[in-house]
Amino acid sequence: MSQVETTRLIAFEDVGVGDELSPIVRGPMSTAHLMRWSAAIENWHRIHYDWRFATGHDGLPDVLVNGSWKQHLLVQLMREWLGPSGWLWQLSYQFRGMDVAGSTLTAWGRVADKRRFDEFGVVVCEVGIRNGERDTTIGSARGALPYREGPAVPYPFPQGLSW
Amino acid sequence: MGYVTDAVRAQLHRRTPRQTSAEAIGADSLRRFVQATMEPNPIHWDEQAAAASRYGHVVAPPLYPVHAFRRPAGTPDPLDRAFTDPEWDGSGNRDDTGLPPLPLGLDRHLNGGSEVEFYALAAVGDTVSVTHEYVDAVDKVGKSGEFVLVKREAVYTNQDGQVLLTVRRTGIHR
Repeated sequence: MSQVETTRLIAFEDVGVGDELSPIVRGPMSTAHLMRWSAAIENWHRIHYDWRFATGHDGLPDVLVNGSWKQHLLVQLMREWLGPSGWLWQLSYQFRGMDVAGSTLTAWGRVADKRRFDEFGVVVCEVGIRNGERDTTIGSARGALPYREGPAVPYPFPQGLSW
Repeated sequence: MGYVTDAVRAQLHRRTPRQTSAEAIGADSLRRFVQATMEPNPIHWDEQAAAASRYGHVVAPPLYPVHAFRRPAGTPDPLDRAFTDPEWDGSGNRDDTGLPPLPLGLDRHLNGGSEVEFYALAAVGDTVSVTHEYVDAVDKVGKSGEFVLVKREAVYTNQDGQVLLTVRRTGIHR
């Protein structure tokens, strides 16, 4: 895992509908990764680190990658693509399937729409997390980007923006 | 007829009292969080990189406030239960929103997804507060029968009242 390039700047005009976002690949996710996440957020639910409990008690195929961890993967996908001049405004997602220890997860995205506002533009992306042939998480995101000759995207980002 | 009765509707749009994190965001807890998410952006640990950013100082990743509510020191240990209940799943009191259960009379609950809006990032030293509210409950009929979609909203703020993010979670009750 390397540090992101903090100087990469993109403008609203640089983006086209259908553009693919650079995917993020994490995995194979070991039980050590899952334990580290559970410890970091102090979540002691055993299905994420106790194989005997997960399989024997809950009847799961293995310990599960936390949904709370997977949502951060989508956040990273969008923020790395938007770069330091952009702002991840909205993210929605649904978990559609389980991801077990040993899975390699790929966060992907595709530009689906664009809309201009007065001071900045907003890009809509379809996003998801793929595990093998399955999308185990699907969702969408909206990110704000500055115009090439426009002002910076306001921070804090304005509330009440109507779509 | 449906499950969304007047008693259910009476629980909508009633915001819970504000809960505030027991501790301010610390550099060490942020470091462990960032490492666990494999977050590569140095504005989350490097003062120099953060100073050059729009934030001017080290900030937490956007969803960090959701996880800022840790058990305060000196409070009862939820893992004590594991001493006497070996079948306990360890999840503890997962619904600690302060919202009363809706009187739907339905036992099954599924996660129907989340919608998040981000407005600002929390910084090291910030304390995070949250309020919760049921915002919608709607009767539905699907292929497998009747169910209720319940939406609840959490609003996270910092010590200055700045809204950091809002999270709307959809629950499917059958």
